[in-house]
Amino acid sequence: MTVDSEALIDVRDVSRHYVRGNDEVHALDGVSLQIESGCFVALMGPSGSGKSTLLNLISGIDRPSKGEVTVAGQRLPDLSEDELAVWRARHVGLIFQFFNLIPVLSALENVALPLLLTDLDKTARKERAQTALRVVGLEERLDHFPATLSGGEQQRVAIARAIVTDPDLIVADEPTGDLDAKNAEAILDLLRALKTSFGKTVVMVTHDPRALRYVDDAHHLDKGVLLDDEAARRAAEALQASIGGLTHAGGEA
Amino acid sequence: MSYTRFVLANLLRNKLRTAFTGGAITLAVVLVCLLLTMPAALDRILESAASDVRISVHHKAGLVYSMPESFTRKVRAVDGVEAAVGVLWYGGAYEESGKVTFPSFAVEAEHLGAVYPDYPIDPQHLEDFVKYRDGAIVGRSVFDKYGWKIGQRVALTSTAWPIDLDFRIVGIIDDPQAPNFWFNREYLSQALEVEFGESLGEVGTIWVRASDPALVGSIMQTIDDMSRNSEAETASETEKSFFSNFFGSLQGVVRIILLVTGLVTLCIIFIAANTASMNVRERSGEIAVLKAMGFARKVIFGSLLGEAVAVSSVAGFLGLGLAIGLTTVLRGAAGGGGMGPLSGFVLTGPVIVQGLFLSLFIGMLAGIVPSFGAARRPVVEALREIF
Repeated sequence: MTVDSEALIDVRDVSRHYVRGNDEVHALDGVSLQIESGCFVALMGPSGSGKSTLLNLISGIDRPSKGEVTVAGQRLPDLSEDELAVWRARHVGLIFQFFNLIPVLSALENVALPLLLTDLDKTARKERAQTALRVVGLEERLDHFPATLSGGEQQRVAIARAIVTDPDLIVADEPTGDLDAKNAEAILDLLRALKTSFGKTVVMVTHDPRALRYVDDAHHLDKGVLLDDEAARRAAEALQASIGGLTHAGGEA
Repeated sequence: MSYTRFVLANLLRNKLRTAFTGGAITLAVVLVCLLLTMPAALDRILESAASDVRISVHHKAGLVYSMPESFTRKVRAVDGVEAAVGVLWYGGAYEESGKVTFPSFAVEAEHLGAVYPDYPIDPQHLEDFVKYRDGAIVGRSVFDKYGWKIGQRVALTSTAWPIDLDFRIVGIIDDPQAPNFWFNREYLSQALEVEFGESLGEVGTIWVRASDPALVGSIMQTIDDMSRNSEAETASETEKSFFSNFFGSLQGVVRIILLVTGLVTLCIIFIAANTASMNVRERSGEIAVLKAMGFARKVIFGSLLGEAVAVSSVAGFLGLGLAIGLTTVLRGAAGGGGMGPLSGFVLTGPVIVQGLFLSLFIGMLAGIVPSFGAARRPVVEALREIF
């Protein structure tokens, strides 16, 4: 079933509870959120705030215990596990904190991997993968294996892999979490470019206060709840202050 | 980038482990193929050795008991009997080996050719066999193995009689499967008379040739009826039945070996399954990411199972190659193929097909459980464990 909505992502009164051991964990409680197409949005908050859970729901990896998640006009809870897999392959590009490249495949092969799920022939798949690597500035490293690439380069390969299928939505879970300051800024620049140059919608979970300089909007979560404007403003100020700290420290954090 | 390349790359990520797993499957295939040749080899021996008109007559109590020599003449007089030859075990040992080197028998030289007209023996050799009292006709495999020549003298030490004899090789049974060493029973009889004052008066087995396959049943019945209530009641059977019983104990051993082989195969399956499980466990992060990217459960399942089947298939072909090489070497070691079970190691079409199916079966069974487990695991659960 599809619904009309101007927002690319429409999250309505979503809760996500699950059982861990003997405890019931309330990862999200009644969260509502709309994200317009072509925006670069950050989901921020402390560990355990529910931001990764929200990202999983938006990307169709997880299902809500309650509420509705609609992305690109598709109500995700209506889809079966296999339908969700097909939907993710067509509409979502994923970027992880630890890059998660296949170590036995070259950069080109890693990027071409999601294209196995398309109808493209081998030549077209190769061309698309080369183009994606060119976009992230790694056209000289096509045949390199992940172990021979730096962290920043590996994350660029992961970004190329995320964009190679030309998805509507790119989700990134702590994409700078395992990088030094210089590479982190480069990756944020690249994600920003995906929005500005290619019109992609990018949703990013991050702890990194530098992200605030790159995103169009930031949503703050705490204890599974989306903070209201006032609380979000205080959180943003606190983060901005930490950026100042970083700047004074020479950007070496 | 293709699925084939993806599977291959994953197979080669831990080359040593893949090699060990493949090696275990290869050895299982070699072992099973070699053992599967044994029942087929016995069948082939029976088929090639047995005639549909030849009958074995022996003591009802067993082959070690003898019958009166005169009974052979009575058998020759039975309607439908074309020829009969009395045979006696000599148990000769060559070159002081201390044990029976090859099957040696004292036979009635003048009747041998008529009972075995299907054996490839030169008529001149048969004539010489009758002519020379100390003559011996030997099977090609024995002849070649010891490098004998026609006219050469050969001494055998008997393990069954208290007398050793010296023979003149006068002929060959020109069949690479023939292990026989036949000599003239009169030679043994006269030697015993000289040494102990008593000639041979007994016979171990009487081989009968019927004039018509249709008469075999009635001839066997008549012979056994003739001996009823005597001191040496007989049990007649066709040549094929005789050899089947002779090899019976060996077939029992083969059955045990096949059972052990089955258990070994099961062990290999467990080893391969354990390896497949380790592979899946070590790559659970990658598998979770693939699922998150949109790879469906059946694709994940197919690719993981494909890895297991690919290893087992390659191992299967390697195993077959090794088995073919080994059987060739074993047949060569048997000196032309006449030395019993060694010469029977021939990989037939059905055995090759069974070997290939076995390797596929191992791959499928070893890969199916871990692949299924990895494929059906919810993606969010797998990701939560990793990150």
